[in-house]
Amino acid sequence: MVTEDSPSGFTWEVRANSPNYHRARQKKSFLCFQWGRYAGNAVHSHKYSPLSFLPLTLFEQFHRAANLYFLLMVVLQCVPPISSIPWYITMIPLLVVLSVRASKDLANDMARRRCDAEVNSRRCDVLLSHRFGATQWKDLCVGDILRICKDQVIPADLLLLCSSEPHSLCYVETADIDGETNLKFRQALAATHSHLGSCPSEGALAAFDGVVQCEEPNDRLYVFRGHLLWRGECHHLENEHVLLRGTVLRNTDRAYGLVVYSGGADGVFCVAGADSKIMRNCGKMKLKRARTEQVLNRVVIGIVLCLLLAALLLAVGSGVFSGVVMREAGPLSALVFNGDPAYTAFLVYWSYIILLSPAMPIALYITFEVIHSVHSRFIGWDLELYWQPGDRPAQARNTSLNEELGQVGYLLSDKTGTLTQNRLLFRQCCIAGEIYGDASVRAEDVEPMDLSWNPFSRGGLHMSAPSLVEKLRGRRCPASRRFFRALALCHTVMAEWKDDSPVYQAASPDEEALVGAARELGWVFLRRSRDCVVVSELGVSRQYQLLALLDFSSRRRRMSVLVREPGGALKLYCKGADIVILERLQRNAAHLDRTERALQVFSVACLRTLCVAVRSVPEALWEQWRETLDLVAAMATAERDAQLEQLYDEMERDLQLLGVTAIEDRLQDGVPETICLLRRAGIKVWVLTGDKKETAINIGYSCELLDPDARLLDWQDVRQMLQSPDPQVGFLKAGQTALWAAGREDAPAQLSLVLTGPELAEFEQRPEWGGPFMSLARQCQAVLCCRVTPAQKAEIVKLVRKHTNAITMSIGDGANDVNMIKTAHIGVGVAGVEGGQAVQNADFGLSQFRFLQRLLLVHGRWSYRRISFFLRYFLFKTCSFALVHVWFGCFNGFSSQSLYETWFIALYTVLYSAAPVMCLAVFEQDVSAEASLRQPELYGGGQQQQLSGPRQLGLCLLHAVYTSLVFFFVPFGVFNNTAYDYQTMALTVAMAATFTASAEIVLLTKYWTRFSVAAVCVSVGMFFICSRITHSGRLFQRSPSDYYFLGVSEVAFADPVVWLTALLAAWTAVLPSFSAHAFSAVLMAPDHHKVHSSAPQTAEMSSTFRRRSTMRRSSYAVSQGEGPGRIITSAVSTRNARTSKPTEAPSAAGRTMPHERHL
Amino acid sequence: MKEEGNLENRPSNTAFTQQRLPAWQPMLSAGVVIPGFLVIGLAFIGIGVGLLITSRSIQVLELDYTGTETNSPCNKCTTLPIQNNCVCKLNFTIDTLFKGPVFFYYSLTNYFQSQRKYGASLDYNQLSGDLTYFKSPASDCDPYRYANGKPIVPCGSLANSMFNDTFKLYQIVNGKENLVPFDGKGIAWWTDYNIKYRNPDYSPLENAFNDTEKPVFWSKPAYKLDTSDSSNNGFVNQDFLVWMRRAALPNFRKLYRRITEGDYKDGLPVGNYSLEISYNYPVKSFDGTKKATFSNVSWMGGQNEFLGIAYLAIGSMCVVMSVVMLIVYAKFRFPEDD
Repeated sequence: MVTEDSPSGFTWEVRANSPNYHRARQKKSFLCFQWGRYAGNAVHSHKYSPLSFLPLTLFEQFHRAANLYFLLMVVLQCVPPISSIPWYITMIPLLVVLSVRASKDLANDMARRRCDAEVNSRRCDVLLSHRFGATQWKDLCVGDILRICKDQVIPADLLLLCSSEPHSLCYVETADIDGETNLKFRQALAATHSHLGSCPSEGALAAFDGVVQCEEPNDRLYVFRGHLLWRGECHHLENEHVLLRGTVLRNTDRAYGLVVYSGGADGVFCVAGADSKIMRNCGKMKLKRARTEQVLNRVVIGIVLCLLLAALLLAVGSGVFSGVVMREAGPLSALVFNGDPAYTAFLVYWSYIILLSPAMPIALYITFEVIHSVHSRFIGWDLELYWQPGDRPAQARNTSLNEELGQVGYLLSDKTGTLTQNRLLFRQCCIAGEIYGDASVRAEDVEPMDLSWNPFSRGGLHMSAPSLVEKLRGRRCPASRRFFRALALCHTVMAEWKDDSPVYQAASPDEEALVGAARELGWVFLRRSRDCVVVSELGVSRQYQLLALLDFSSRRRRMSVLVREPGGALKLYCKGADIVILERLQRNAAHLDRTERALQVFSVACLRTLCVAVRSVPEALWEQWRETLDLVAAMATAERDAQLEQLYDEMERDLQLLGVTAIEDRLQDGVPETICLLRRAGIKVWVLTGDKKETAINIGYSCELLDPDARLLDWQDVRQMLQSPDPQVGFLKAGQTALWAAGREDAPAQLSLVLTGPELAEFEQRPEWGGPFMSLARQCQAVLCCRVTPAQKAEIVKLVRKHTNAITMSIGDGANDVNMIKTAHIGVGVAGVEGGQAVQNADFGLSQFRFLQRLLLVHGRWSYRRISFFLRYFLFKTCSFALVHVWFGCFNGFSSQSLYETWFIALYTVLYSAAPVMCLAVFEQDVSAEASLRQPELYGGGQQQQLSGPRQLGLCLLHAVYTSLVFFFVPFGVFNNTAYDYQTMALTVAMAATFTASAEIVLLTKYWTRFSVAAVCVSVGMFFICSRITHSGRLFQRSPSDYYFLGVSEVAFADPVVWLTALLAAWTAVLPSFSAHAFSAVLMAPDHHKVHSSAPQTAEMSSTFRRRSTMRRSSYAVSQGEGPGRIITSAVSTRNARTSKPTEAPSAAGRTMPHERHL
Repeated sequence: MKEEGNLENRPSNTAFTQQRLPAWQPMLSAGVVIPGFLVIGLAFIGIGVGLLITSRSIQVLELDYTGTETNSPCNKCTTLPIQNNCVCKLNFTIDTLFKGPVFFYYSLTNYFQSQRKYGASLDYNQLSGDLTYFKSPASDCDPYRYANGKPIVPCGSLANSMFNDTFKLYQIVNGKENLVPFDGKGIAWWTDYNIKYRNPDYSPLENAFNDTEKPVFWSKPAYKLDTSDSSNNGFVNQDFLVWMRRAALPNFRKLYRRITEGDYKDGLPVGNYSLEISYNYPVKSFDGTKKATFSNVSWMGGQNEFLGIAYLAIGSMCVVMSVVMLIVYAKFRFPEDD
């Protein structure tokens, strides 16, 4: 039975061609109950069915505390003894909010449903009773045998049985899974290949009765373990035998596969429905919440608690009052006719909770959401963030973080692909100690060589070395020929033929650059199969037998191929980081000194270097080595990797150095300017990279992250300071030393930290260093972390988050940045060369690093201001409006009598004061976009939370309390002991509240569009119009108890005292905020006006953006992670530690270097 | 690289999407703020002075007749049971002409007409003349909904507690008492007696009230409130309407009568007067007071010192503020300019 553990521990069993066996055990579900074992292949990513929509959406919406709170209010209002305002006053807005959300969810769900239907109805060929017939994806079942044609998407996780290609190879593109656009190959088992693949007949496939036993469905994309039991034999299965759902078949006419895990995903509540690996991987993204929202939530909870307290006090008052009144008989004693004071107080308590609940308005959250999505739209709409070459606008994927963009304190950036273009150009090489090419010429200015003799040349070589071409074509220099042969052979690039020339698909851009350069110079990689590589060498096509491919891994930092040359000789070609290659060379290697010098030259020019070497392998050694390899490869244990590595290491010995390649990694446009601007805005920029230290430092200088005058502190310095009792003292000392070293007393100490991954690992043991470290780092100009792993990047982000309360932002472009993008408050993905994974996981997607300036300084700053003003205003408006009841309570026997007409309560937040604040939250600009970029210092306000801090919110609430006092006591003074009735007073207070709300918004709005003007006018107008309507006789006659304010507005609006009172109350209420604004206007420094002037400050700009060199290049370290299986990426160059000396970038002379300490 | 014409995702270049809507951006500066505050302050002071002068020109005469002091003529009524039609007389003298038209109010203090339960204890449907609600008044009216098994009309606490002291004013001329005519028309709101409160279409009105009970506290049923004018009965009785329009605050006055007729059209001349009060309404139980108030009115209604003083205070505050701002501005700015 399938549930039994088989001896091997594999519990998942799939029997080929036995649909009845699997269908009986198909997974079924009803509501949240499930049974069955094998999932179907249909995707159900939609949540709702017509029946379940209403209950589910309500269930979800009442998960939110706010909605639940309002529901409670509605319920309370329906209880007659405590209902102080009619039930519909809260019910109508609540219904609106719920239905808006529900329709939004429904629209999303319909879109998902359509998308699912499209996927589910895709066709593929399934073997049904000895014939292949087209079937829809959703009808596939585990155990079916499929036929996949070229360029088809694979519908489920398949075991590859055979393909139309030799050796049953097939190529897949995994862009949808890992974002890598290169091709990967998969291969069928030799057994199935030989029996089924020779002539893939339908009969043979239909007769296939193998049983696959493997792991339970899991989410590990790169691991598959299991075996195939067929014809009494047990075949070991691995990842390379499996085609995953979502990948695309390329370069292969046909592939046949057995469905192992079917791919369907069931609704959201029964996530376990999906078996395929990709579906197991699409876990829910953790929802990030903006800090402002958290503050808001806390404030709202605070307000609610205050209201509960106020209600309690008022209820006590009510108990006392009714007790006093009840003592004596009289006209009023009837009120507590047969009640007892405690019971009255109990009822009044709930009544007051209802009456005060508008202080926390239901509209706040929904409006908040609307504003956020408008701000996100603005980001997507911005033409300045649109990248025309890629036709990509900016994306705001998470629509709740906009205001955080205006508060960023730390920017943690990836280097490769983010600061640099990840467009690699082969610029120089060193063969046999001789350097070819000149890196001091800009890549665009390189004179193209005449390569017309080469029919495969497609251009794109930015190197000019006619002497090299001459040597190659003249067949004079065997070393250079072997060098390019090595480049053409030693790689994992796939060639796809288009228009009679090969197009290279590489896992890393480095390899593409190298193979491309070899192609340009005459060594053209034509195609590869499983065991041979065909290369055209200066027009002569030669086939090399591929014996072994020694994988790249980030630990090995090299890769090799073992080939049998057409002549029969065995050769090992190896390329890798200089430090690993140089130590594996033969003794007394030739040209070593000159090569090391060349390495240094390349490194100074910020080029990524790679050493290429060769070894002639004796036949006997190969035979012996192969036997061991076969043995080790057959092992299915965890030690296998270690043993393989050791085995590879044995082969990569006694190398003969061929040469060094030098590749330029270009900086993206505008990187130095952007970093400079962000730093002026007070944002600390940290660069986290997998690169080696020297390259990272060089790139730090070239993108102006590090100042030439800055002193670089390394881990030794930092550790000394951290170990000293008072880190600050040590830090100051270091700062003074730097000053002294720079010989400039006037400049502030410029310090930068340069750390490496292994050093950072010490933090794991010493968590108590985090705080002091961050306080040191805070005073540093920049922090560079080199040699860090993706996990460490995330750890660094966590460290910053833990020890500062600043907002962190991570930006990166590759799959290795996903972790840090998810960890930071805000994650930005750069849509670059490395596929879309970073953007998929990011909150914002940009096309260029330089767009960050506009995203942060313009959109972020505006959003922060708009949302802060919006929140403060909203809280002020609603609190001042609702708190009036507390004061009024003291004059109506604490009876929870409302001071407003119920319709005013309902319409105030919706009609009379909503539109202007919406306009403010959408249109407000205190300074223009240009001025924001010109004056990055303005950004500091957001970082310090000048507008949304607790103090600001506290002041705002205090103002609200003051205003509510004014609202009540000014009319109280006027109407006390007069013949004015309650309804006139209610209208007067309502008028004052409307005037105050409008006056406050007029004060806050600095950017008056025609919409803002209209909104204010309409809001005030609406108050008068709606008052007249709700006080009209017609409505009263329809429902006397709902419109009993009949005729009040007619009388009151004609009474000068009402007007004078409302005006006086409104002006008194806004006097504090008007005075505050007035004083700040008076105290404002005259030069602040300059922000608004349009004259560009050219002098300052030119001095800030001084270019150190016209050439900006980067140096290099590992750019890609390990590929799955045999996907190999370029290796690294690190200079040998022996030869390592402090390196200076050519233009940054005179700065203090880390090793020249002046202590 | 894509062609210019093939840019599907290019955002549209409109003023709205690019956030470049034409806008007016006023800047607050010292040049605007200081004169602004000064102007507003002066305007407020002007209004305040006007209000205060108007308010001072209004004559008010308040006579407390609660009778808590033993020397008060109404003291005797406080000790008697309520039903005991007690009449007391207050004598007072007017030294200068009390300009007309004179309004006569009764004032109550410490009386919580704005109590929610009290204020809501009425049935608008009943009061708009709907006979079905005569038979079964709304539950809001409890505990004054039924009495003796019959529905109370008008039901509820508010109606039940209607003020029932009555007043007569005499001018004493040569020892003779001349009745000063009171005008009780039009003291309620037009909308109240035309739309909000309606008697049922019954004539005589009395029949509509068959099988109903008068409010417990009332001495006569609603259709007999005004014996002199049959149209001033039932729910549209002016005194009833004035009472039913709730006061917002515990100290309030309500219009009782106007003196607009005969010899007293131009006001109350100098002389001795006697106010005859039939003292029915008990206020002792809630420590309230009752006053009779004579006042004449201006464009701003009755006397209102508070409004004028508040305007003056806020206006002066604004002026002071503008002066302070000017000083601050000078101190802050001029050292820089030197």
